[in-house]
Amino acid sequence: MNNKNKIISSIPVVAASYLGPALTPNLDVAWDEAQLPLSPDDLVQKIMGQPLRRAGRFIKLVCCGALVCLKSVPAEDLKGKKIGIFLATGLGNVDEILPFITQVFKEDGGFPSPNQFANSVSNAAAFFLAKVSEIKGVVLTISQEELSFESALWLAQSYLESGDIDLALVGGCDVFTPTVADYRERMDLRPDNHRSMPMGEGSSWLLLGDTSGKKIGNILSVELDYNSKTQQRLSSNENILSECEKIAGRVIGKQNKQKIILPGFRLIDMDHSFFKDKGWKVEDYLPHCGIHPTAIAYGLARAMLSGTSAFFVHCNYHASGRKTLVTAEST
Amino acid sequence: MSKGTIDIRGWGAVTTLGWSARESAKNLLSGNVRQADFCTSSHLTNREFKAFEVPSEKNPLDKSWAMMDSAITEAFSRAGLTASEIAESCLLVGTTGGLFIRNEYEFTEIVRQNPGKESPPIACRNRGPGEVADAIAQKYGIKGLAMTFSMACVSSSHALVVAAQLLEQEKFNRAIVVGFEPLLNLTLQGFASLLLYDSEQCRPFCANRSGMQLGEASSCVILERRAVSGQNSKIRYQFAGGYLFNDNNSLTSAGTDGELVKKVVEQSLTNAGVAVRDVVAIKAHGTGTRDNDLSEGRGLAKVFGKHLPPVISLKGAIGHTLGAAGAVETALWISCLEEGMLPRSFGFTQIDPELGFAPSQVNIPAMDGAYLCTFFGFGGTCTSYIIIKNP
Repeated sequence: MNNKNKIISSIPVVAASYLGPALTPNLDVAWDEAQLPLSPDDLVQKIMGQPLRRAGRFIKLVCCGALVCLKSVPAEDLKGKKIGIFLATGLGNVDEILPFITQVFKEDGGFPSPNQFANSVSNAAAFFLAKVSEIKGVVLTISQEELSFESALWLAQSYLESGDIDLALVGGCDVFTPTVADYRERMDLRPDNHRSMPMGEGSSWLLLGDTSGKKIGNILSVELDYNSKTQQRLSSNENILSECEKIAGRVIGKQNKQKIILPGFRLIDMDHSFFKDKGWKVEDYLPHCGIHPTAIAYGLARAMLSGTSAFFVHCNYHASGRKTLVTAEST
Repeated sequence: MSKGTIDIRGWGAVTTLGWSARESAKNLLSGNVRQADFCTSSHLTNREFKAFEVPSEKNPLDKSWAMMDSAITEAFSRAGLTASEIAESCLLVGTTGGLFIRNEYEFTEIVRQNPGKESPPIACRNRGPGEVADAIAQKYGIKGLAMTFSMACVSSSHALVVAAQLLEQEKFNRAIVVGFEPLLNLTLQGFASLLLYDSEQCRPFCANRSGMQLGEASSCVILERRAVSGQNSKIRYQFAGGYLFNDNNSLTSAGTDGELVKKVVEQSLTNAGVAVRDVVAIKAHGTGTRDNDLSEGRGLAKVFGKHLPPVISLKGAIGHTLGAAGAVETALWISCLEEGMLPRSFGFTQIDPELGFAPSQVNIPAMDGAYLCTFFGFGGTCTSYIIIKNP
């Protein structure tokens, strides 16, 4: 353990949903960075049956993304189950904080809205989600920059293992808040530490745990390697391949499965043909959701719903060099 | 949630009462406590708010870093951690504002340095709440898991309970839990907009209470599996277990009938294996708001009946330190235990007939045994845990 924080016991994935900047659940739809952020109100009406007038975009996207995931499971499969919510977000509800603090700092003395402050509190979105999904108990908001989702996944597995919950609703949500330049700065994006991609946003979710019903895949392992100096290693195709081969050997052994790499936004210079020659497909999900701190949630949820039986390795690293590897299989 | 032997190997805190948990405890116990005062920090734009500031000559941003460093260094020093022990530890941080103070400080400096010019819009440059954990991990060489809980007022109390559970599951051997909350315009103005301020004084459980007052603080608590510290360990304090629960009935209240508080406290006692009659004293959340104290007071009365042990809120002396409250109040409480005394609860003058009890009004000897700590927050969040003081 210690320097290598990992889980290796398989967690069934009961359901998944992915929502990108086009705000069209479970579909890859083109969008334009310059048009962001799109209004989520039609989506809210469609999914929740009523407008969430007093909530900001972050809260709306959290609720919509999670409800799409939950509603894809037959109600009887959830009946009597203790469900924990693990909301991962790198930046949180900046969309609510900024207007509030702008009012506070107005030269003529603004009138900050109490409702806006309430919505700007870090766990307001998790509360709204708990309320609309009627979940009580373990409801956690976890934030660790671009490792937020991996951390939440790791923690959810620990809770499932302890028996405190039966199912874990684990999601990643981050919203685009203008400007693009500010958004990039918040994510510590510099020319040499990420792939050249438009900025995006998303709210993507997995329902994990054991139900008697059908599962769509498994999360096989989550590894958070916090030894530094991995950045250089992961920026080389050879080293990425080596990491993927090693973890595939440990997790699936010699099973004959299609092997797919899901590259995170910090991986640069990915040579798809190099990996193809070595028997790996590179599935780049970022063009469909854009760069955002919890983009991995989109990539994994999309992989789970891909309909192909395959083994996935999601690779990424933090700007400081911390490496993360998540493996999954779709069934 | 967690049951088993988990030692509290080290702790440290910076509060309005001092730049260490020990100094804060000594001042608290000696009654060297000032009421909240009008804010002086250069980044705070409204001088009409009273709060519990940490005294410092540094600028607000440097002061915040210094508060964090001081609390961590005190905890590491008290625990006697080696570099390799620090490296192999995991890090759980509880914070609401994170490093948002950087935005506020930089903005107010630009305005101050450009008098007469139109203010630019404030920018949000910080990288989210997780930036604090990242900075700590890099500075101190912590290589274990780093994770931040951003859960309003229960951020670091939740982090402590989660850390204890993960230790019990042997996910790691040692957890460094940090609470960090500098004073912000964001929160001062926010709670004012919610009409949750008492402009005069923070008066936990008092009939005359009318709201909270904010404080700034930083803290670090180090939890460790007994298997690591050794069966013959001389560590006197244990984290015996706790419980976290999130209700979905109200965004701002834990239910004034006290039922939710009762449920959470009872479950934490069960998880810790501690009987109601064995609780020596209660470190209550006690914010001084009408609803919190009503929920909490009624809940405690339901659990303890006529045998309510001494109840103490620290917020009349240090203010509500929001996301840092769990770690800060735990560290300050243990330092009081080290001094052999429990502090009195500041800000109280009159029994609230709806509660029917007075929080402790004199310092009392800190007996060995079980101490109940409670925390409640925005979003229906509740944490409760037990700290054991051994001979």
